[in-house]
Amino acid sequence: MKFSMHRAMIIAKREFLVTIKRKAFLFTLVAMPAYFAFIMTFSASLGEKEVRRQLSKSLTLGVVDSTGLMAGAPTRLEFEMPAENNMLQRPKPGAAPREGRKMSAEVVQFETQAAGEKALLDDQVQQLLVIPPDYLERGGARIIKREASLIGGSTVNRLIQRWMTGALLAGRVESALVERAARPSKAMTEYTYDEDEKRFILQDDTREMITVILPLALAMLLSTAIVTGGQYLLQGVSEEKESRILESLLCTVSTDDLMVGKMVGLGGSGLLLVSVWTAVGGFFGSPILMLAEYPISPLLLVFAILYFLLGYMFYASIMTGIGAITNNMREAQQFAFMFTFANFIPFITMMATLSQPNGGLAVGLSLFPMTASSQMMMRMATGATIPGWQIALSLAILAGSAWIAIAISSRVFRLGLLMYGKTPNLPEILRWMTAKN
Amino acid sequence: MLEVRKVRKTYEDKVAVNDVSFEVPGGEIFALLGPNGAGKTTLIRMITDITRPDSGEILMNGKSLRGASSAQIAYLPEERGLYRKQPVLDVLAYYGELKDLPASESRAQAVALLEEFGLASWAKKKVEQLSKGMQQKLQLCTSLIGDPQLMILDEPFSGLDPVNVALLEEVLDKRRQRGTTVLLSTHQINKVEQLCDRCLMINNGFMVLYGSVKEIRRQHGVHAASVTARRMPASAPGIESIERLSDTLGSERQGEEFRVVLAPMTLPADALRTLVQAGAEIDSFQMAHPPLEQIFVRVANSGTGLDRGRSGGLNVDETESAERALGGVR
Repeated sequence: MKFSMHRAMIIAKREFLVTIKRKAFLFTLVAMPAYFAFIMTFSASLGEKEVRRQLSKSLTLGVVDSTGLMAGAPTRLEFEMPAENNMLQRPKPGAAPREGRKMSAEVVQFETQAAGEKALLDDQVQQLLVIPPDYLERGGARIIKREASLIGGSTVNRLIQRWMTGALLAGRVESALVERAARPSKAMTEYTYDEDEKRFILQDDTREMITVILPLALAMLLSTAIVTGGQYLLQGVSEEKESRILESLLCTVSTDDLMVGKMVGLGGSGLLLVSVWTAVGGFFGSPILMLAEYPISPLLLVFAILYFLLGYMFYASIMTGIGAITNNMREAQQFAFMFTFANFIPFITMMATLSQPNGGLAVGLSLFPMTASSQMMMRMATGATIPGWQIALSLAILAGSAWIAIAISSRVFRLGLLMYGKTPNLPEILRWMTAKN
Repeated sequence: MLEVRKVRKTYEDKVAVNDVSFEVPGGEIFALLGPNGAGKTTLIRMITDITRPDSGEILMNGKSLRGASSAQIAYLPEERGLYRKQPVLDVLAYYGELKDLPASESRAQAVALLEEFGLASWAKKKVEQLSKGMQQKLQLCTSLIGDPQLMILDEPFSGLDPVNVALLEEVLDKRRQRGTTVLLSTHQINKVEQLCDRCLMINNGFMVLYGSVKEIRRQHGVHAASVTARRMPASAPGIESIERLSDTLGSERQGEEFRVVLAPMTLPADALRTLVQAGAEIDSFQMAHPPLEQIFVRVANSGTGLDRGRSGGLNVDETESAERALGGVR
């Protein structure tokens, strides 16, 4: 039977409408952004609140100094709790930074470690710093506390380091130098060159956060759209095969009608999902981007659509083939796992991409078809200048891979749909891939 | 209407269908028979253009199947399923649209079919809410929508109660009168004898029986007669054996039933004459035609038929399977 676009579109319409009316779809549509918003807000605020809670408690530091180097150190440590980070209330450039809350910590010296430990157990001190006799030569100071603290621990450690620097230099150099040596990077600012504005631009906290969050968010949206559409396809083919709907359908439509119809319809539902998320994200995120003077090129959107279409076609074709050769959804999911996982590799290597958007790993992953879409989107959103040839090559490889995947999947789909029982082994699948009929 | 010419299909080194040829004119109900694994499904899939033959050709109205519109052929497979979570009417209308009916026409035909099959009140219910028999009827509706010229029905009676079997027979008869060709694949051979004009039986991919049901029964008669007689001699010239089938049937006048096997060259008229001359008092004399079921099992077991034994006999498992499918007929 010849391919019919008319029939393929009837199938696409049905697949799209049935999918978007599913409770699971509506739940994903609403729950996913809500979940992410909750996680991000909750974890960020939880971390910040924990630091504040720890620091706001009257902090008393016990010190056992076997070297005598800290003898002239101050017994009180003044510090400033930074103002709460609010990206929407970002100060204008040149304005004075918001002041934090002034706080202080007591320092109590002990003669022996045993006395210090007793005070720690009696809750008279919160942490005990033990300076060994050979500290000057070998370092090796120890911090002893009642319990480990994942959140806020490093902040307290930085305070202790500041106190130690001050203690070591106290009386030996002038006090301003002591203060600067303790906090050499206080109020440091960073500027980076902006290709669009042709000038160096101040990198502040908000802007820095955007350079991390935006590439992550865009890459996540893209790969979620691709994987969601592909998973719907896998589920659809697998269910229809398992419930034996396909045999009666295949008398009326060709396998190509069915495959194209499903890919278009379910890809459309994936695209709708991401469009809604992007619109919601854009609505809430655009004020932040405007305040941060963080320009987003319209080209980024064009490339996002291109990468979605090609990435989806590639991934969805593979999912179609897997759905056709397996006997049920559970088996299909096992086969599909490694391909789905590959989509998320760029998130594992994200730190390398963010620090070196044009590094070897970042470039390699953006040329590899499994990871190209999300990896290239991540690189583009960092604001780094991506060489044009890399974008062209990446798109060409992805388009070629998608074309090959569709051609092979179409054959496997045709042969696999009506095979029930034993799942074919690799040699059989390879034979199907090259089969003429 | 449908012409299958020397069609052959192999899977790896196994021949699934071997040089099968047959014709089905328009408006005929034609049976496709064969034990499990005989190659029926492969043949049906080739007729429905789901798979293609390695050689040979299949024509519909004189034209290759590849050019045939999807609306011309309907297929009800043995293993079937429906979109369980969707409303009955939507499912049926969807199949209609796939058969190139405009959306409004498809819906109108779907409504009419649901009424014909007594499912109109279930139109808005989800398929999963229907009983098994109702789902079976809905499946039949998906085959009938679009008024196909050729309907291929694989075990259409399974899962239907006697009332719905009668309903389906009536529907098939109506369609036949309107010129629709029906290719019926079933193990319910009594239905073949009742509904079908002609049949084809394949075994191990080979054609083993082909022709009108009556002619096949006549050809495979065991040259024996069923005789009711008040008196019967123990032997007679030209008669191989006389076997009493039942004891006295009531009164002397009604006589007893005998199976009389004729010698190979003896004509029925000669046999009747010699029996009478030998003293038989005969009430009725009728040449015995075995039911199609017996022919099916015998041909499948012996592997003899049109292919002169090339299809081979069934192995033990296959024989049991064939007998089970036929309700233990030998």
